[in-house]
Amino acid sequence: MPANTAWPIVLAFGCTLLLGGILLGEIISLLGVVLVLAGCIGWFRQVLPHENAEHVPVEVQPVEIETKRKTVQRFKLPGLHVEPGEIIPTSPLIAGLKGGIAGGIAMVIPVLIYGQIAHGSIWYGVNLLGGAGVADWQNVTPAQINAFHWQWLLIALVIHGVSSLLVGLIYGAMLPMLPSRPILLGGIALPLVWSGLEYASMGLINPALASHVSWPWFVVSQVAYGLVAGWIVSRDENFKRVRNMPFAIRVGLEAPGLMHENHQGEGH
Amino acid sequence: MADQTLPIGGALDITPQKATKQSFFEWLSEWFITVDHKKLGILYISYALVFMLVAGVEALMIRVQLAVPNNDFVSPQLYDRLFTMHGTTMVFLVGMPILFGFANYIVPLQIGARDMAYPRLNAFSFWLTAFGGLLLYYSFIGGFGLYGVGTAPDMGWFAYAPLTEKAFSPGHAPDYWAIALIISGWGTLGTAINIIATTISMRCKGMTLMRMPLFSWLMLVVSGLTLVTITPLTAAQIMLMIDRYLGGHFFDTQAGGSAVMWMHFFWIFGHPEVYVLVLPAFGIASEIIPVFSRKGIFGYAAMVAASVGIGFVSLGVWAHHMFTVGMSTPTTTFFVLSTMLVGIPTGIKIFNWLATIWGGKIVFATPMLFCLAFLFQFLIAGLTGIMLSAAPWDWQLHNSYFVVAHFHYVLVGAIVFNIFAAIYYWFPKATGKMLSETLGKWHFWLFLIGFHLTFDFMHIPGILGMPRHIYTYMPDRGWGIWNFIETIGAFVQAIAVLVFLYNVVISLMKGKEAGNDPWDAWTLEWATPSPPPAYNFATDPVVNSRRPLWDLKHPEDPDWKYE
Repeated sequence: MPANTAWPIVLAFGCTLLLGGILLGEIISLLGVVLVLAGCIGWFRQVLPHENAEHVPVEVQPVEIETKRKTVQRFKLPGLHVEPGEIIPTSPLIAGLKGGIAGGIAMVIPVLIYGQIAHGSIWYGVNLLGGAGVADWQNVTPAQINAFHWQWLLIALVIHGVSSLLVGLIYGAMLPMLPSRPILLGGIALPLVWSGLEYASMGLINPALASHVSWPWFVVSQVAYGLVAGWIVSRDENFKRVRNMPFAIRVGLEAPGLMHENHQGEGH
Repeated sequence: MADQTLPIGGALDITPQKATKQSFFEWLSEWFITVDHKKLGILYISYALVFMLVAGVEALMIRVQLAVPNNDFVSPQLYDRLFTMHGTTMVFLVGMPILFGFANYIVPLQIGARDMAYPRLNAFSFWLTAFGGLLLYYSFIGGFGLYGVGTAPDMGWFAYAPLTEKAFSPGHAPDYWAIALIISGWGTLGTAINIIATTISMRCKGMTLMRMPLFSWLMLVVSGLTLVTITPLTAAQIMLMIDRYLGGHFFDTQAGGSAVMWMHFFWIFGHPEVYVLVLPAFGIASEIIPVFSRKGIFGYAAMVAASVGIGFVSLGVWAHHMFTVGMSTPTTTFFVLSTMLVGIPTGIKIFNWLATIWGGKIVFATPMLFCLAFLFQFLIAGLTGIMLSAAPWDWQLHNSYFVVAHFHYVLVGAIVFNIFAAIYYWFPKATGKMLSETLGKWHFWLFLIGFHLTFDFMHIPGILGMPRHIYTYMPDRGWGIWNFIETIGAFVQAIAVLVFLYNVVISLMKGKEAGNDPWDAWTLEWATPSPPPAYNFATDPVVNSRRPLWDLKHPEDPDWKYE
């Protein structure tokens, strides 16, 4: 074991006096400097060239680790049918990622159509998203919003890509936990909820951006995302298996008796 | 192929402590030069308990002063010092040291290590913390001061600028505050580094991160959070000293400095600091609730994820302390939403604790009673926190006694309750003696009643407009009855603490022998003797699940088959 040493307390006291001297006088700081130097040298000598250790005699004896509570009760959940050897499926996160990518692509289509119809430029929606991350956007002209800007495109791609993937992950994790009708919930209800949230908050967070958004088309693009992402997640085999589990399992309850023994885990 | 948790069944050490004859001074000097994590843990906890008594006396004096209208029990100058020192002491000299003390004692034992990664740094960190606290309190006697009550800090625990500038605070009061906290802050940083290094690199064989006990997990998160948050405070305190001694103008509003910048610096430390204090309390609950519910923790992975999530989100909420400063609407909106976001991982934790209790065979021992009260009180604290996170509500109640009641619900209702739970839970391990259950229950019920008398009723004068830091008030405000009840509650809490202290002393002298594992628990610290030898484990443990002692106690149904 590392040997006891006084040098840490000496160094700590030195540091305190060094700074405390600002209040208590130069002499105190000077004493602090001396103690800090002594503490550092003493501490270094504790660990260099070899750590100062002391040998502690060890006597190993058997010790009983036991309990009086021998009986183990297990939870029984109605509707849980797991075959021996069957591993309980996990949430379809990969399908969520795929759904996020596909939904992200689907979402772009109404945005481009709206830009072309309403403003004569497919870059309108792209620039709205990308421009939101650019300084001085408040003074932007309509011509600038309709023009192609590679910096804004890059920013829009990053924002859109990351958020599509993250929402897709949430779909993969959440849809199996929700009541049935994943297309209705994931495709329509959830996009409506977050569209409402964005409608309520965007005017506060970024008023310049909010003034350029067409909210009906915004909702259309979000629903396009939700429908495609929800459809892809709901087609996944894992999704179907997870949905047949009791709710406690779907939300991730870990308990012996609920989870089947994992024989593959032996020998860790 | 191992099919059990430990390498050789029952080969854990029970080496009897070699009782060598020591003089009192040898015994005493051993405590000063020790680098043993367990002794340093006990030093941290003892130091914090002493300061808890000091801060408690300060709180009682504050409560007596406010008990009736137009009171002059203490002078206004001393009153300012009392509330400043009470807040500073409870956060920096009680909350953090006691929780880091538990981490020091418990984490190496829980992860099957023989000591912390840097034992000498550990000792250095403790002594820095201790000397920082002593320097802070030296301020009471270190100078005559302006009003004959020393030069103790008197500007509130958050030391807002420009009150701390030379023009408004001549003398040394802010200097004692800043320098003492810089010194103890260095100690805190050292301990945080040590805990991170220990949990990352010294876990025993088989203890993957996802098998690490939740208390150790929480301390890992807290230590990371500490590294990020203490540094801006230290930086701001150094800037303040530059202002006061070298003619700087960082916070000097009369010379182009910014008082709001101090607020940002302080609260970017100050709000995560709440989580630095409450996350270890969560860790304590996550150890105690399963053992006394006789069930494994519900949703271990979600608990870990929620802890890390709280750590991250807590770094982005600090300006909710500044809604009344006049921030822009987008900034206010961001901090409203980010503050509300904390409710999600925190809610996950509360649901998981409830789900752990649900269907369990609950043992209402003293540690569990404190944890159950914590669950209820923390829920209330969370709800008033959500109320205050809404900027319009905060505009009405900012710096009122409603806010004081809210954060005392967190700091006392959650953190202090769980600190007591932890003391009752791990005292047998550290001393080999059980604390008296009878006295423990007296302590619990008195403290519970006192807490609710004080802090439930404190919300009301807050809503009625009573501001914090107020010295006294007129009788016609309608605050008198509520303040009187609060003061009675404070004294009931004080009686409860005296019962607790008596329990500690009497149990150390005559307490029942604890044995290795008095609670029939499941983590590794209970596989060592009580108290553990200097080296903790004679042979390095090997674990295969999150509950290694469950595996040994139930070889027919070990956890590792299900994880």
